[in-house]
Amino acid sequence: MSKPASLSLDQAPPITVPLRFFLTAPLFAITAALLLLWQGPDLFSSRWNPALLGATHLLTLGHMGLTMLGAIMQMLPVVASAPMRRPALAAALVHTLGTGGIVLLCTGLAFTLPLALKFALPILGSALLLFAALVVITLRRAMPHNMTARAMRLAALMLGATALLGLTLLSNHAFGWWLQSREALTNLHLTWGLLGWVGILVIGVSYQVVPMFLLTPPYPAKITRWLAALLFILLLALAPASHSPALRILLGSLLAAGFAVFALTTLRLQSQRRRKQPDVTLNFWRGGMISLLLAVALWLAARVIPALDMAQSYNPLLGVLMIVGFAMSVINGMLYKIVPFLVWFHLQSRRGPSGPKVPNVREILPESRARGQMWLHFAALGSLLAAIFLPASLTYPAALLFGASNLWLWLNVILASRTYRRINGLIIEASGHGAAAPQIMK
Amino acid sequence: MTERTLDARWLEPPEPMELTLAAIDSLEPGEHLRLLIHRTPHMLFPILKEWGFNYRTHANDDGTHEILIWHKGQAAPGGDPGPS
Repeated sequence: MSKPASLSLDQAPPITVPLRFFLTAPLFAITAALLLLWQGPDLFSSRWNPALLGATHLLTLGHMGLTMLGAIMQMLPVVASAPMRRPALAAALVHTLGTGGIVLLCTGLAFTLPLALKFALPILGSALLLFAALVVITLRRAMPHNMTARAMRLAALMLGATALLGLTLLSNHAFGWWLQSREALTNLHLTWGLLGWVGILVIGVSYQVVPMFLLTPPYPAKITRWLAALLFILLLALAPASHSPALRILLGSLLAAGFAVFALTTLRLQSQRRRKQPDVTLNFWRGGMISLLLAVALWLAARVIPALDMAQSYNPLLGVLMIVGFAMSVINGMLYKIVPFLVWFHLQSRRGPSGPKVPNVREILPESRARGQMWLHFAALGSLLAAIFLPASLTYPAALLFGASNLWLWLNVILASRTYRRINGLIIEASGHGAAAPQIMK
Repeated sequence: MTERTLDARWLEPPEPMELTLAAIDSLEPGEHLRLLIHRTPHMLFPILKEWGFNYRTHANDDGTHEILIWHKGQAAPGGDPGPS
């Protein structure tokens, strides 16, 4: 019998490992919406506005970060072709420290509380650096030709670097000491975070999930082999280039071209998919890629038209396009494939050949619920972009739509996890005396 | 040995797995399943082992795969697909 690389069920992480992250993440986006409601039209008045700093980190660390951490914990053993050591413990540690650290950081930033920031520093720092090290070390064992593993490793290095820069800036906020080049460091922090950690991770993961879940042709080998590494080198080169505007523009243009190639290739592959049926995740991906292309176009336009760069709306527009438009759309869309699949897979593998019937993925998370939330997400994105130009009339509706969208996402994840609990109870009952229980909650 | 064929090529995951597990659930003694699929179903294999089935995979030149599945304890079905 042939033995293709596969994990035994005992080696796959328990479902509680990713679910605890997925269940917490939308709460941070809801909190960001509440912060926007509380702050009102002034939120986008300056990129240094404390409430905006808090809201941004609620989204990047709380919503996007926690979801990506959970998804990586799930994917790591598969990508590395080896089980993770004590996944439940690692997940509990990273999740608890991460969640606590994010709450402290965002409270400290939004309400200017140095004491909260002093506590956030070691807690959040250890969570992020521990996680980055875990990914880099675990993926040492991955096959050299596994391009997703390679990109994931580069993304984790970028996470580590972003976290170190963030900790430096945080110590400045917490202790108030003088920090030279604070603006340059902030720019590098957000560029490495959004393009390095988030961007390279999305690119690497898409090599696997886009062909698999959306039934597209594979990404061209030239892209899978070179793109992530090239972007990583360009991003690293930005650090010494911070004092040379011309070099910065050159590196930025190459980065913009790299991300545009990725977005256009993804849209092309998705138009060539085998089954042309409507799909919520596909629409989320399309919205994400169009937002990425708009962000690239906006950045390039601002290089040509200096007035645009100086406009008050420029930074918020770029931020909303990259965070809500690109990253949150893709993450939200992928959750609708990952969560029902994991619930179904774990139940199916536990039930045995003659156990209770397991609902299919569409029953675990009905398409109509996902579709409704998707339209709310895109309505929120559109209204947030519009609110940058018409803050007085559109900030509150945008905040309400954004909060409602993430509340609905949270309820959808809860629905799937409740189905897991219910059917799992039936499986334990059917198996007699709860023989399956220790495996399930390990 | 009687053969049942399941064509799960280009179905969205986890539909191929759902159909395969439903098919082997009703596999009679002496029957085996020939699964046609567009990619290696890595996550199916541990479930097959857990459920008491043997399998044999064969990669076709067009990138698709054929997987023979039969009850453990039964003789392996002869003929294609050969071990890959």
